Amino acid sequence: MILLCGIPSEPPLELVREALDRRGARYASFNQRRFASMSIELEIVNGQADGVLRMNGDSFPLREFSGVFNRMMDYRFLPELKDLPESSAERKLCRNLVDTLTKWSELSEGRVVNKVAPMTSNFSKPFQAQLIRKYGFEVPKTLITNDPELVREFRAKHKQVIYKSISGVRSIVQTLTDADLSRLENIRWCPTQFQAFVEGTNVRVHTIGKQLFATAISSEATDYRYAARQKGAPADLREVDLDDELSEMCLKLSEGLGLAFAGIDLKITPEHHVYCFEVNPSPAFSYYQSNTGQPIADAVAAYLAGE
Amino acid sequence: MHCDLSPLLSIIKAMWLILASQNDASALWAFHGLRDRGLQPLELIFAEMLPFSLRWEHRVDARESSITITLADGRIIRNSEVRGVLNRLTHVPLQHLSGNPDYDYASQEYSAFFMSWLSSFRGPVLNPASSQGLAGAWRHISEWVWLAAQAGLPTPKYRQTSADDIDEMVELRKLFPAGTPTVTTVVVQDRVLGQSLTPEIERSCLKLAELAQTPLLGIDFAMTAVGAPWQFAGATPLPDLMLGGQPLLDHLARSLSAANGKPNS
Repeated sequence: MILLCGIPSEPPLELVREALDRRGARYASFNQRRFASMSIELEIVNGQADGVLRMNGDSFPLREFSGVFNRMMDYRFLPELKDLPESSAERKLCRNLVDTLTKWSELSEGRVVNKVAPMTSNFSKPFQAQLIRKYGFEVPKTLITNDPELVREFRAKHKQVIYKSISGVRSIVQTLTDADLSRLENIRWCPTQFQAFVEGTNVRVHTIGKQLFATAISSEATDYRYAARQKGAPADLREVDLDDELSEMCLKLSEGLGLAFAGIDLKITPEHHVYCFEVNPSPAFSYYQSNTGQPIADAVAAYLAGE
Repeated sequence: MHCDLSPLLSIIKAMWLILASQNDASALWAFHGLRDRGLQPLELIFAEMLPFSLRWEHRVDARESSITITLADGRIIRNSEVRGVLNRLTHVPLQHLSGNPDYDYASQEYSAFFMSWLSSFRGPVLNPASSQGLAGAWRHISEWVWLAAQAGLPTPKYRQTSADDIDEMVELRKLFPAGTPTVTTVVVQDRVLGQSLTPEIERSCLKLAELAQTPLLGIDFAMTAVGAPWQFAGATPLPDLMLGGQPLLDHLARSLSAANGKPNS
């Protein structure tokens, strides 16, 4: 039995559910928006985690879930809760439900895509970069500072420089322009991350278990995810093959970070240097699948089914 | 002939750091104890002063990471010159930004930045930063009790449900009722200090620290009845170091001086 967690209409979750249907796999849906009709009990005895999940009148022993696909959103922003006071009974129930389910999935011996603990490396990009480089990837020259003069020197040296958040918050990549220099003094109150721009082709690699899908992206935008906003035209995506060595590096990177499913952001330079910018632990793969037809959801479904 | 003195200079400049809150009595106690044991220069840096540093310069590339901090009191800390760190940072105090509309953003950015900084030391760091906590992973009690059982420690039954009347944002779950007598032991790398334990329990304590990847770990045991076996009651990467007494300081000093963080026995 596979457990699908989140809001069923969310594209990645919907695609995996359809893929499980095609396989005839058994699954149950933990629809976050229907939290009021659910309950969960977790027990840990002598190092064994078990319990029961009740949904819409059905009971599921937790030990029967051999796979979990977790796309749960922050419960505080659910439409059913967003206008309720912090102390409301509904908020408490939803919080406890999600929290208990998450605590169990962290201890589950099944295939959990993904456990929360390994996902946290993505919380700090330079922290993750220090892990990434151990797997043989180049990482862009990076400066984090609160000193505007160091930024000016960095830009003079590298010519084209981008800036982005250090954490996962407000994570839109922007080019540092002449106009930005006039407000550079603002960084004095909070260190800011700058990187030498790397010329080359963006490649998103999705790894799931031992499988891998690579997608090349063509765009004039600094951050291709926002190509329509930044350059007025959407990015062009196409399936590409990676050589065996690079494929192995990607698979080892995901495995090393403890991620069953990952979205690895690469840039391959004309000289064939491979830079890795970050590893996304909760990739919204539907964007890539819908543009290329790559069967990513089928691979996720197969992994969850134990193959 | 040119003689390269940089390796020698790097030894001369070597220093140790204690990173902690200014309210951390254990850190102050360790500062004096470690200094008396010859760890000098030893710099005590309070978390509260870090956000007011005059300059941060953190560089990361494919080969190395470096960081130079110029503190407001004039001290300059270069990671390359740090031989060992007693790291007890739990968060980045940003009270001076409270009320600012960008407070939450700044808080996330500082935490992410510190995580990277604390990961770029070359010498022993007790405890190393984790993506789940600046001084080692903060684990939920459900995870601790599970890990403790994997390590071979006697553990109580743990139960959590969606109907529980608890808000963990304001109250932590516990394995035993408040008031249950407990004793605490402290693991420092390969030694267990602070309590006399059976060899079996001692091995399990070391195993728990290893499984948790937390080389400096406080482990609580509950004594539920006279003569009853102790049971695992909780663990923390920020133990009260004073519970380990002078032997803990001796071993901590050796650990922070060792090239790989593991003292010769």
